[in-house]
Amino acid sequence: MKELLNLKAIFSNDLMIVVGLIFGLLIFASTSFFVVGKIKPNTNLTELKSRTKSWWVMATVFIAATLLNTKISYLALAFLSFMAFRELYSLLDLRTSDRRAIFWALLAIPAQYYLAYIGWYGAFIILIPVAMFLIIPMRLVLKGDTNGIIKSMATLQWSLMLTVFSISHLAYLISLPQIKGFAVGGRGLLLFIVFLTEMNDILQFTWGKLFGKHKVIPKVSPNKTWEGLIGGIICTTIAGYFLAFITPLTNIEAAVVSFIVAISGFIGDVVMSAVKRDIGVKDTGSAIPGHGGILDRIDSLAYTAPVFFHLVYFLEY
Amino acid sequence: MKNLILKITYSFVLRWFLKLIVGVKFTNAEFLKDIKQFIIVANHNSHLDTITLMASLPSYILPNVKPVAAVDHFGKSRFSTWLSNTFINTLLINRKRDKENLENDPIHKMISAIDQGFSLILFPEGTRGEPEKEQKLKGGIGLILEQRPDILIVPAYMKGMGKAMPKGDSLIIPFNSKLVYGKPKRIKFDTVQDVLNQIENDFKELKTIANK
Repeated sequence: MKELLNLKAIFSNDLMIVVGLIFGLLIFASTSFFVVGKIKPNTNLTELKSRTKSWWVMATVFIAATLLNTKISYLALAFLSFMAFRELYSLLDLRTSDRRAIFWALLAIPAQYYLAYIGWYGAFIILIPVAMFLIIPMRLVLKGDTNGIIKSMATLQWSLMLTVFSISHLAYLISLPQIKGFAVGGRGLLLFIVFLTEMNDILQFTWGKLFGKHKVIPKVSPNKTWEGLIGGIICTTIAGYFLAFITPLTNIEAAVVSFIVAISGFIGDVVMSAVKRDIGVKDTGSAIPGHGGILDRIDSLAYTAPVFFHLVYFLEY
Repeated sequence: MKNLILKITYSFVLRWFLKLIVGVKFTNAEFLKDIKQFIIVANHNSHLDTITLMASLPSYILPNVKPVAAVDHFGKSRFSTWLSNTFINTLLINRKRDKENLENDPIHKMISAIDQGFSLILFPEGTRGEPEKEQKLKGGIGLILEQRPDILIVPAYMKGMGKAMPKGDSLIIPFNSKLVYGKPKRIKFDTVQDVLNQIENDFKELKTIANK
């Protein structure tokens, strides 16, 4: 039991501050919606309320999965990748003859997370960009249906990169070697990037709702405004500066990294918006009430995770 | 013993397998526990259809629900008959009518199951078709209703099953799919074709709901 529940990590003060902060924010959001609903019963808060409810669930599951036990963290993140990958290829209208290639792509998920778990960096970083890049077209060619094969090759590779390769960087954060004088370890980095990315989403959304006027990229996502983007980036950068204590970075480094993360998060968001627009759907699914599908929630994370990982890797390891 | 096997297989093992691995989104089927007897009519694209419908049911009505299946497919040998009867609780029927030998007649068999108090799961399309394409419905359901017009019909539509496990392939590839139920109802009709048209309409309506 002691091994299963890594109590030392739960009671590490630095992590507890952030966990407290997360639940503090959630309590603040829930109470303020409750109060606003009482004062102005006519305001339509249904969507915001169901979003916040889902945030409670997601935050609790995420914190439990990351802090209790690292083995569970790898499994949980692998399952997240699996759900996102399944959601994506289900939408992308692949051919019946692609089924065997999809099966091989699915096998890459446990392999990729196992490599993250044992911390074999060299293999982790080439499995999908190199090995799967070669294997998927081979499997499609063996099946022999050439009609539309380019699209299938490209679709499967891109989907794997986005939902498995990118997201698995979160798992590798926990496998990074210990640094002297940085006791919190990889869990701190994981908590930092996930919290920062999701805060960035919320902040850009809120700034946009409050002050949004000038559209950034109306053809792709009419809700994205310069006011929201810039307000979000500034707030995220400041948040990163103060959250540096759960990373091995200095405050200034953390602020610079957060600035880049904020921009990547925005890009991930609009890339997924463009894909949804092409398919003709509003959400990628209905797995998370108020948010849409799994991908709607982790689209920005798919961009911020590798960016953050490689920045930290470059700066510290 | 058989009841226990059915409950464990569907309400635990298969329900979670379908939800977590295959990615089936179930709609609540709790309303079925208030109905004494019913026939679920559903579209048919995959072997997963039957187990998905069974896994969606409230566990204690499971032993009372029999999916209707073709004997030439599910009763090939004594072993496969035993498997189908134990794990799917099937009612095995012939595809062709046999009015001289009532023991072999599919309609007679289904009606006597109804008279014994069983509910049925029926795929009026007959055999499995191409994913996401509807086939012409067969008359069996109408013939049953001609003799037992008071039984409640529950339309069901499944989307994506044929992609997760299409006909002619035994490999399951997870695919985000969905099961939706329509409202239970008594069908009013003059001819067998009436029944089929109404069920076809139900499928169309449920399909738009499933695609939302």
